[in-house]
Amino acid sequence: MEKRKAVEPGRIFIYALLILGSAVMAYPMLYAIIATFSDLETFFRRPWLPIPDSLYLENYTVLFTANFMKLAPVWRWVLNTLIRTAWYIIVPGTVAIFAGYVFARLKFWGRDAAFIYLLSSLMIPGIVFWIPTYVMMARFPGMGGNDWTGQGGHGLVNEFAGLMVPGLVNVFYIFMLRQTFYTIPADFEEAARVDGASTLRVLWEIYLPMLKPVLTVLVIFQFVAIWNDYQWPLIISSGNRDIWTMSLGIQRSLLATAQLKGYPSGTSIQDYPFAFTLAVIATAPLVILFLRLQNYFVEGVQGFALKG
Amino acid sequence: MSVTAKPTVLGTGNVPQVNRFRRWRSRNRQAIEGWIILSPILLYYSIFFIFPVVANLLVSFTSWSGVYQPPTWVGLANYRIYLSHPYPLILFNTLLFSIIILVFQTTLAFFIAVLLNEKVAGRGIFRALFYLPTLTSAAITAQVFFAFVSPFDGIFNSVLKALGQPIVIWTISTFWMRTFIILYSIWRGLGGPIVLFLAALQGIHREVYEAAKVDGATWWNQMRYITVPLLRPMIIFVVVTSMIASFQIFESVLLISNGGPANTTNVMLLQIYNDAFVNSRLGLAAAGSIVTAVVLLGFSITNMRLMNRGQTD
Repeated sequence: MEKRKAVEPGRIFIYALLILGSAVMAYPMLYAIIATFSDLETFFRRPWLPIPDSLYLENYTVLFTANFMKLAPVWRWVLNTLIRTAWYIIVPGTVAIFAGYVFARLKFWGRDAAFIYLLSSLMIPGIVFWIPTYVMMARFPGMGGNDWTGQGGHGLVNEFAGLMVPGLVNVFYIFMLRQTFYTIPADFEEAARVDGASTLRVLWEIYLPMLKPVLTVLVIFQFVAIWNDYQWPLIISSGNRDIWTMSLGIQRSLLATAQLKGYPSGTSIQDYPFAFTLAVIATAPLVILFLRLQNYFVEGVQGFALKG
Repeated sequence: MSVTAKPTVLGTGNVPQVNRFRRWRSRNRQAIEGWIILSPILLYYSIFFIFPVVANLLVSFTSWSGVYQPPTWVGLANYRIYLSHPYPLILFNTLLFSIIILVFQTTLAFFIAVLLNEKVAGRGIFRALFYLPTLTSAAITAQVFFAFVSPFDGIFNSVLKALGQPIVIWTISTFWMRTFIILYSIWRGLGGPIVLFLAALQGIHREVYEAAKVDGATWWNQMRYITVPLLRPMIIFVVVTSMIASFQIFESVLLISNGGPANTTNVMLLQIYNDAFVNSRLGLAAAGSIVTAVVLLGFSITNMRLMNRGQTD
């Protein structure tokens, strides 16, 4: 079998197609990375593949200039994104562990009704929540100048808290954790219960280590989703640059590359190599994470399909 | 490991001095713990999931020009607006995008997965290259893509200038803007379906193909009579999830064409966004989100029907 494969001319064809296909996929990314080392003039001289004659690093050094930091507080956006990402991993993750345990392991009146109640929103697309959630944020009682009835101020619109309040319960993750609890035999828990362990201890000491694979998937998916989230930050935080997240901040910065790079005011030209630099630094963390954890990603995507 | 005697936890109730409360508590431990855990979750869920859905439906029957104004009841007027220009065009564009993206993306992903399944060397590297665009921020990559089609100093036009060709004002061409949005979406969305198809393909035993080869089946016949039928559930899953995802296309349209020229690339989510947060017509936007939800629900129901039919076959 192996020998026949080695001589099959079809194999060459397969490799040719795969190399061609992945080259097309990789070209824009490679292009962007090469362009970051190119100045604007070289870039326009070789627009297909802007390989510079000599290494040009100003696109990176300009990120540390006072002018840039004043106009585009990137480090602040990174911090905002990291805080938001951690929050949206920890809270929905904890909720999913507890609720998944309740639905899979405890038996009591009303449990199944509660589960169906939770599942009822699973089919509803996110767009339905945009307007009511925005209004709820704007009328959030007692916050952002609002009185307790939610009148008088701007509420959580353009406040960092507005980015942190919706979507803390994720029904899909609850479902995913419940299914995982079903695959774990109850014997471990029963043995611990005989020893007098409380529910919290059972969850912490017995289940948490066993849930590691599914929690890894959850962490990776939330990380990607929140790191790249654009729609909700766009809706709720457009007016306050200091609370922007990476996606929104970098996207807006791409529109003003000339000012950010310190060209004389009134210059209308776009500095494309610098735009690519901003895009590359915003995308790099996820790419590095993926290359390190590729198998978890792949298993995660497949797990989503099989469980969902 | 110390064994502490806590008979109440076991619920045996055979210790005579336990009072009635502790006995009640131990007997109903599961219900008490269950409701203690579920109560805050259900409360939050009711406020942030159930209430908004109901509220959104009610808002869709009102004319409401901004959060700080009072809404007025207008009945079905918002839905009637959806029958007049440009809304039918927007719905058409959204369907057009989702169908074209779906067909090309699924077909390409299927064949790439078949190629990757042929025990190729460096499969991990190929898979990574196909999957990486999916991880990029749609907003950032779409905004970068705009640099290529920007009307006068864009990168595509720089190439044309370098080749001595006349420049093309891409942004005023419906054909080009639609093509660019579709190409960008396929590029960014190809990775997920490839990974899914590859997983399903790896579940097919190689002996099946060996047997077919012995019987003289061609590559095409193997595809048609083995691979496609065995992958049917995954194909349905990918088709429906891609359809649902690409019907909700937003960032790429907002940042590459902003719906132009003349609404010919405008899509549902972009119009809802503009109605709500640019034009301050919250009622009309809410109606749009209901229309979107109904279409997507239709896709989901079709999905379940197809899945069930697959199981009973």
